[in-house]
Amino acid sequence: MRPTACGEPASKGAREDCGGAHPHFLLDVLRTQDMSDFSEELTRPESEDDQEEASTVSGTRVYFPWLQKHLDTVATGGKKKKDFAQTTGACLSFIREALLKHQWQQAAEYMHSYLQILEDFDSNQRQTAPEIIWKLGSEILFYHPKSSVETFNTFADQMKNIGVLNYLKISLQHALYLIHCGKLEEASRNLSQAETWRYGEKSSSQEMLINLAQAYKGLLEYFSWSKKKMELSKLDKDDYAYSTEARNIFSHSWKTSVNFSALIKTPGVWDPFVKSYVEMLEFYGDRDGARKVLTSYAYDEKFPSNPNAHIYLYNFLKREKAPRAKLLSVLKILYQIVPSHKLMLEFHMLLRKSALCISSIPYVNLNCSRLLQKKRNTINWDWKCYLGSWILLDALRT
Amino acid sequence: MECCFRVPLWHEGLSHLQVILPGTPPRMDFPSSLRPSLFLTGPLGVSDVPDLSFMCSWRDALTLPESPPQDCKNTAPHLAEALLWEPAMPGPLPLLPPCPDPWDPGVTAQDLLFRGGFRYRRQPQVVLDVTEQLSRFLWNHGDIAFGPLGKMMLENFKLEGGRNRSKKMTVVSAKRLLQDLGGHQPWGCPWAHLSHRLRRFAIVGGPVLGKSVSSLLGRLLHEELATRWEQLLLDEAFTGGTLAWLPGRTPQVGQLVYPAGGALDRLRFQEVSLTSGSDPQVLGDPGCIQLQGPVRQVVTNTVQGETLLAVRSDYHCAVWKVRRQRRPAPLQVLRVAKGATGISLSPHLPGELAICSRSGAVCLWTPQDGLQQVYKDPETLVFRDPSPWRWADFTAHPRVLTVGDRTGVKMVDTQGPPGCGLLLFRAGAEASCQKGERVLLTQYPGQCSPESLPPTLHLICTQFSLYLVDERLPLVPMLKWNHDLPSPALLARLLPPAGPGCPQPLFLGGLGGQVQLLHITGKEASAPRLAGPPQSLPSLTDCLSAFPLLEPKSHQQLQERLEAPTIGLACASPPSASTPTAWLFQLSAAGDIFYQHLALQAATSFHRDCGPPGDPRPDSPAPRATAPPMDQRPPPSWSPQVTAWCSRWLEALLQVPPASPVWTAPTFSHRRLLGRLEPQPVEGKVPQALRAAMARGRILQQRDLGLLPRAEPPPAPEPGPQDELSERLEAAWEGQGATWWKRQQGKASEPGKQTKRPKRRTPLSSTFSSLTSCLDLSDTSSPPHSSELRPQPPVTPHSQESAQQLWAQGDHSERWQTLGDYMAELPLTKGTPPLGHVPTPPSQASSVQATPSRLPTPGSQPHRKRPRMGF
Repeated sequence: MRPTACGEPASKGAREDCGGAHPHFLLDVLRTQDMSDFSEELTRPESEDDQEEASTVSGTRVYFPWLQKHLDTVATGGKKKKDFAQTTGACLSFIREALLKHQWQQAAEYMHSYLQILEDFDSNQRQTAPEIIWKLGSEILFYHPKSSVETFNTFADQMKNIGVLNYLKISLQHALYLIHCGKLEEASRNLSQAETWRYGEKSSSQEMLINLAQAYKGLLEYFSWSKKKMELSKLDKDDYAYSTEARNIFSHSWKTSVNFSALIKTPGVWDPFVKSYVEMLEFYGDRDGARKVLTSYAYDEKFPSNPNAHIYLYNFLKREKAPRAKLLSVLKILYQIVPSHKLMLEFHMLLRKSALCISSIPYVNLNCSRLLQKKRNTINWDWKCYLGSWILLDALRT
Repeated sequence: MECCFRVPLWHEGLSHLQVILPGTPPRMDFPSSLRPSLFLTGPLGVSDVPDLSFMCSWRDALTLPESPPQDCKNTAPHLAEALLWEPAMPGPLPLLPPCPDPWDPGVTAQDLLFRGGFRYRRQPQVVLDVTEQLSRFLWNHGDIAFGPLGKMMLENFKLEGGRNRSKKMTVVSAKRLLQDLGGHQPWGCPWAHLSHRLRRFAIVGGPVLGKSVSSLLGRLLHEELATRWEQLLLDEAFTGGTLAWLPGRTPQVGQLVYPAGGALDRLRFQEVSLTSGSDPQVLGDPGCIQLQGPVRQVVTNTVQGETLLAVRSDYHCAVWKVRRQRRPAPLQVLRVAKGATGISLSPHLPGELAICSRSGAVCLWTPQDGLQQVYKDPETLVFRDPSPWRWADFTAHPRVLTVGDRTGVKMVDTQGPPGCGLLLFRAGAEASCQKGERVLLTQYPGQCSPESLPPTLHLICTQFSLYLVDERLPLVPMLKWNHDLPSPALLARLLPPAGPGCPQPLFLGGLGGQVQLLHITGKEASAPRLAGPPQSLPSLTDCLSAFPLLEPKSHQQLQERLEAPTIGLACASPPSASTPTAWLFQLSAAGDIFYQHLALQAATSFHRDCGPPGDPRPDSPAPRATAPPMDQRPPPSWSPQVTAWCSRWLEALLQVPPASPVWTAPTFSHRRLLGRLEPQPVEGKVPQALRAAMARGRILQQRDLGLLPRAEPPPAPEPGPQDELSERLEAAWEGQGATWWKRQQGKASEPGKQTKRPKRRTPLSSTFSSLTSCLDLSDTSSPPHSSELRPQPPVTPHSQESAQQLWAQGDHSERWQTLGDYMAELPLTKGTPPLGHVPTPPSQASSVQATPSRLPTPGSQPHRKRPRMGF
């Protein structure tokens, strides 16, 4: 509590601030700080109320997963959990423990017992259970020494149909697993099934997942397309087979663009999709389309500031032989995000070529001069191997 | 992007000059293709969003092929590798002898919350038990609570009420009232049954008893309890950890820096030598620095050969320069009036620190140049959160700091204009955070070796998950792992990779002693990801089995000691010839250090991925097929040396005196009773022994009397008297049930001996009714640490309660005075209880010894309890 020696009305904030401090704690200092706090306090009450309201309204109160443990030691009466809930809860914690100890066999055995939760009377439990089972079950099957792709497939197919709401999520993850295993055809089949799946009203999350499934399918198609492209490059142009192959490739492109375009519009990090989409567009000469995709991916405000977006755009512009000013403007942004990138070498060359003084980068300018004002001996930092660079840079600048 | 702030990693930005300077190290690259992820903005817990940050480790292991896979056999198997750091022992072991100071677990939820549930509630709700604490205060400090008021009122005290009111309304029968109060449950539940009589008494006596005490005190008490409860839920003081490992002159030797002593105010430097294959050797005596406050965080860092040590206390921060073979030289001490919450040492400049305080200010601190305020904002970053906790750390850029609070992390340029910055992490939909999720720890691991993860990564822990965020791609976590630790994850340590191409082990420790080990990989051109399924390491309580079997009392003491929160985590991996090894040290709040030895195993438990279906792949080369999967490996067991060391450790622990209580209730002193016993001229052996025991403040035990043969079987956990049941069970356990029965029958034929025992115990039990009642109630009503563990004066409520029983049973009419008389006496008596409790006037206290025979002999109660504890 607050030292009474201060002799001021006890404002709550001040009491908290110096709570537990020594009472003789340089009173003058304390008093001045208390004063400022007190004035803050006078303006605060409204905001505090707001805050409480806001936190209750939006439900953003801190949640402690270990709160229940504390309460369990206290609450003796009240509504007790049913035996069934207790045993399944214990079983779940056993599975988690076994997984974290890499005891796959044991985890699988517990999982076998845990499946009975699907018959729980509690509808809430019944809804969340399939997701938990899928999460833990897939983890077990992924690492279990005796499981195989077939086992995984069977499990995934069964789980898809248990919780209707999880169908898309599981399909998607199943497809990813198949891609990882190199079974591209199977994955593609899986994704096309997911693509056409509908349940109830089309919610935004459903749409999002369908878009994702489509994009992954597009990626698979891109894989087969680029494989064909490689084969095509090996063929002779006069060959009869060449024209049929070429026709095949063309039909691919049209399908794939549909697949990608929906997802790429939603904010996110879609590097592999954008990359392959742009490659295909470029191949068919749709430069405007490619530029549009890349520009929106790099400059759309809703997207995170992804350095790769700018890198892709720069590479595209370079291939297109765009004017130097355009290239510079892209690299300038990249310079701000990732100044350590390899492309900065090109940035430097471009700057020199465009006869712009290096001091057009104000930041470097500032630091360089400031740094060199210091005694050079004291610059024994982590990057002291760059001392030469600094000197050189300074020379360039002046 | 035309904001005033930039994240100018300018020293790296000039990497183009590498061409000119040959021999410069290769710089990091940005991953050429990131994992697809959705980017949403919005508050926490937006439910209608597919969670793409996959929570299972296997989904993290999946990588999209960069180029179309040519041949599946070439692409997949390199991922298939189960990494495992296998502990050499089943649990952590104490490194040093136990800290000689006693350990008190402090308040628990039981002390703070209402006991008993709410019958009609689905979810139990947290209700602070202010009334109980208040009633305890009124019991124990009745003189303070009521004395002055009573003295003031003494002259005009009248409990009659208005003349025109009927007597029925104003007169309360004290006898009935006290009967009602006898059934009053002491835990002060507001829903407890109140009779009309009690209510009327409360109304009539209200003005006299004084609301001022309860209202004034209640408010303050509630505030205090609320802070205690918050602290119990999340003790942020130890964020970052108080244990540090300082590498020494050789890779095998290093120093552990940690606080010792019960108050954690002695900073110790213990040199330890680590050799694989044997236990760590403690070299010499620890160096010690006495501080004025408790140590909350210890940070060390070596920059350019200069090793610095920084310590954060509640209101002070200090820096030392560590010198080989000599005492660390103190550089500067800083006072933080508002309370420091975090300190970190710069990985770039020697002697530069970042400090943050509860007021929301972040300062750069160099002992030469003093303080430079970098950032100040009393409000939180993303949304409003009442917590004043702040954190600051460095980034890959020496002039850019991260500033964190419960809602997010921001990068702040120390040279830029004040107030601008770029959010690095946001507790919200961007990182698909859950409802109620808060940042508990942010850490900049830095780059320990060129082989390790890029130096732009930051580690952020919440109650649910661990995030790795790259400062070049803010807001989008590169990796998310749902750790599910059952206690706040406040400690994290990253080790350099065990070898070229190996993933980096990341230790994540909870305050409750749980440690998880994550294998993180991702160099140069690939995004960081989990290289294998994370594993959990044994926690401190797992070493219980290394200790010898104990009697319950000592067992509880040991368990309490091992369950003390873990407040420090340190790790070291000395280079070894054969398999990579790592040492993990844990510091408990009781002041003990435990260690674990881990060895890297690469198991070949899963890589069936790619072969054609049905092909068992007998000829495929196993990547690092050395160890069988975990299931088939025999579990590690304790070696005899370890158990011997543990029993020695335990012996030392049991000699540690129990924590002395902060305050004991004023109760009748046994020394006074001792004086009264003095004049009795004829004394037998029993009273003598009793007096001796009382003088020592102990319970009289059978062996003190020495009457019965001390032929107790060795495995008996309690040397005290045993009852029939336990004897019988014990005999049955040893297979001698029949002989016991025969012996029993023989005993029954001599009844004299049987009846003698309880009689002899009556005076003891009656004089120590308070003690025995304390014993009796220990497992139901009082927190475990205040039970029969310690021979300390009893807690008052229990003694009062026994007196209360006394009162309720006694029917001496002279004691049933009118309420008015009693109330008039009120201010003069010491320790007078408040409304709602049966008072114990001094005459009652003395009646404890006067009416021993009327008591329900509580001496028989320990008999009933002990066998249960024995099993």
